[in-house]
Amino acid sequence: MALKLNASNFQSPKCASFALPPVASVRSPKFFMASTLRSGSKEVETVKKPFSPPREVHVQVTHSMPPQKIEIFKAMEDWAENNLLVHLKPVEKCWQPQDFLPDPASDGFYDQVKELRERAREIPDDYFVVLVGDMITEEALPTYQTMLNTLDGVRDETGASLTSWAIWTRAWTAEENRHGDLLNKYLYLSGRVDMTQIEKTIQYLIGSGMDPRTENNPYLGFIYTSFQERATFISHGNTARLAREHGDLKLAQICGTIASDEKRHETAYTKIVEKLFEIDPDGTVLAFADMMRKKISMPAHLMYDGRDDNLFDHFSAVAQRLGVYTARDYADILEHLVGRWKVENLTGLSAEGQKAQDYVCGLPPRIRRLEERAQGKARANEAPRIPFSWIYDREVRL
Amino acid sequence: MASFTASSVSFSPVSCSLKQNQASSLRKASLSFSGKGFPSHRLPALRFRVACAAKPDTVNKVVNIVKKQLALPDDREVTGESKFATLGADSLDTVEIVMGLEEEFGIAVEEESAQSITTVQEAADLIEKLLEQK
Repeated sequence: MALKLNASNFQSPKCASFALPPVASVRSPKFFMASTLRSGSKEVETVKKPFSPPREVHVQVTHSMPPQKIEIFKAMEDWAENNLLVHLKPVEKCWQPQDFLPDPASDGFYDQVKELRERAREIPDDYFVVLVGDMITEEALPTYQTMLNTLDGVRDETGASLTSWAIWTRAWTAEENRHGDLLNKYLYLSGRVDMTQIEKTIQYLIGSGMDPRTENNPYLGFIYTSFQERATFISHGNTARLAREHGDLKLAQICGTIASDEKRHETAYTKIVEKLFEIDPDGTVLAFADMMRKKISMPAHLMYDGRDDNLFDHFSAVAQRLGVYTARDYADILEHLVGRWKVENLTGLSAEGQKAQDYVCGLPPRIRRLEERAQGKARANEAPRIPFSWIYDREVRL
Repeated sequence: MASFTASSVSFSPVSCSLKQNQASSLRKASLSFSGKGFPSHRLPALRFRVACAAKPDTVNKVVNIVKKQLALPDDREVTGESKFATLGADSLDTVEIVMGLEEEFGIAVEEESAQSITTVQEAADLIEKLLEQK
């Protein structure tokens, strides 16, 4: 992990982990994004390739969990069946995207579409930028199912494995799949966004994948997913709130419904980690500190639309400004998890474990302080307006 | 100790100006030619003219802030050349060090400048530059 302020973990326009180019950096939670590299960067390539999607810059570590710990997850199968799968909803009881969209089989279809478009017209561009970014993130679902199946001890070995872990992963994926579908159809019907550019971005993103630095290690993996599910819950909750403020109650319902799925998933993943803290407190607290040191990278940090080399940074800046997902949220999530998993009360830790415990417990206030400083500086300079291809190159303030 | 530090500081600008090709060190070089920062009778007899070092006092203050942030023992050797990374600073530590420097010296460090700081010397040089601009 490079430690220069401007290097992979921070802020070079080319190597952007928390990265933002200086202009956009004014407001965004640049601290909280992952390491990316544009393939045109001199650090890695000798031939500059213009207009190419970013790639992960950190060395990709694999299988960092000692193999004997795989037993832990085998032994947890019964526990998982009784405690994890209960958080899945039976398909017959699940909402489907069609429930929230104009009904093509109905005579009123054209009117319903017209009303949807009228409501959408009242919603500003910056909101759509954030909603599109969220939709693209959801549509990159293949990457997330893949990521879950990289984890030792819990992966779906055949694609139809009957272990509780595999059943969970497939059912989780199936539930998540509805999110992208629903947002896609809504955005398509709204008429407010350039679907071709969005679709291109999705194709690039799935092609890029992501490495959340979970190293095939389910301790790291489930800590990561716990954090992420809470982050998406917060984020969709905020887009729901904003949609309501803009007068689109149906869109608010869409975002709110997605948010409630995420909350249920968060409950499940945090339960797994809670159990891991019970079984192996030292290993789990070390894993928690490790993930936080590496920083929780956003799933779509490699997003690219063929035009904007800093697309993710720009999108995040708008999400930050609108209060959809902010640096403060990052600190809040961390603090919530520290409390949820009772990290402060852990006992019997090794010396390394205690250091990890101290680090994790002390981290939220440090992040808050950092964020306050960034906000203070942000107020001094007005952020620029930049075009987003997702909205036909109309400009939005970062 | 103090004299050792002073002599290491006076040599390092030679190496820093030679190896770095940054506009910032060139600017500093011209500033010191104009007489700021280095009383001429104290200039060491260097073969190379350029002196872009910050005052030893500034470097010492930076060292103290770095030691405090990274919880390093007092006897741990930290000099101008010391890299934050080698001392065990992660990216969060580095930002907090810069924040500590801002508070100590009453300056505001731009994001772009903060990004270029990797050693104690670079921090001290930037601080002096910002203080001169005030």
